[in-house]
Amino acid sequence: MILETLSTILLISGAFFSLTGAIGLFKFPDFFTRVHAASVTDSIATILIISGLILRTDFDLVAIKLLFILVFLLLTSPTASHALAKSARHGGLLTLAEIRDTQNKDNG
Amino acid sequence: MLVLTATSVAILSVMALALARALKADTVYDRILGVNMVGTKTALFIAVMGFLGGRPDFLDIAIVYALINFIGMIAVLRFFEYTATDGEPGDKEQSS
Amino acid sequence: MDRKTIIYLVTWTLILAVFWLLLSGFFKPLLLSFGLASVVLVVVLVRRMDNTDNQPQKPSLSLPFFRYIAWLLGQIVLSSSQVAKLVWGSSKRLSPTTTKLPVAHIPEDSRVLYANSITMTPGTLSVDIDDNYVTVHALREDSIKSLQGGKMANSVANISGDKN
Repeated sequence: MILETLSTILLISGAFFSLTGAIGLFKFPDFFTRVHAASVTDSIATILIISGLILRTDFDLVAIKLLFILVFLLLTSPTASHALAKSARHGGLLTLAEIRDTQNKDNG
Repeated sequence: MLVLTATSVAILSVMALALARALKADTVYDRILGVNMVGTKTALFIAVMGFLGGRPDFLDIAIVYALINFIGMIAVLRFFEYTATDGEPGDKEQSS
Repeated sequence: MDRKTIIYLVTWTLILAVFWLLLSGFFKPLLLSFGLASVVLVVVLVRRMDNTDNQPQKPSLSLPFFRYIAWLLGQIVLSSSQVAKLVWGSSKRLSPTTTKLPVAHIPEDSRVLYANSITMTPGTLSVDIDDNYVTVHALREDSIKSLQGGKMANSVANISGDKN
């Protein structure tokens, strides 16, 4: 019973954090800040939802498989974010501060 | 059971928002960001669906999906990293 | 094949065998022989690749590593709530910054762990990494300051110091 309540709390807060990240995708001003919003859903929402599901198992092989999914997602999603940011930077995308700098140089 | 349904609905709406972001993006990197988010959420969604249907076998599919999504993402990024450096720096995607 | 290599290969064989058994959960002879075949194949591949690139990867499952992971999970929860506050609040409180942090004092194996940890905590993102510096993009200047404090860098350096 306690486990069920705990899992409910974890699942609901996980859903809340994923929605937060999705809204951040629309609200944040430029590409690099949007990556931060996406990484919220990637890290904390994954941890919360998977651990919420683990509490609903009988702690057998199913729980271990969920743990594997968690480890895979936590290993791969920062790597994907980093690869994305790196290729955006090498492709010549500027951050907000750099755009402001070039505009100031043009004006003055 | 109600909680699982609510969670899966929330994940589905997050996927819809990410897809909308990918469709109306300015740069190609924003599109990849949206698609990546859809991919990771799909792995989570499959796991939640397995519990909702009472069939934990779905978890194997979720593991495979998480791995394939990562490899696909790296492949697409490799492709764009090499093509983007050939063009003008800061080049915005024209067709939308 | 000296003694060290044998221990190294046996460790990987055990890890892979346990991994297969946990994933499959079946103990029929046919499936077990499939598992044996794939474990042997992977260990042979690991051996051949180590001969080529001379960078054997020791599995680093020590106590400091797990302590670091626990600390990192706490950091993730803290900084996620900060970013969530930024998302729901007004966007004027954003102050995106880019800085270079030195990584020269961290052993090469652990730099991946360091850069991945920076990316994994929401609010900071490692954009580029080379021999001396990692370029970090942050949502707010505060998070850059706490990274410059060097707690994370020191704990990452400590893990590998224990391992070698």
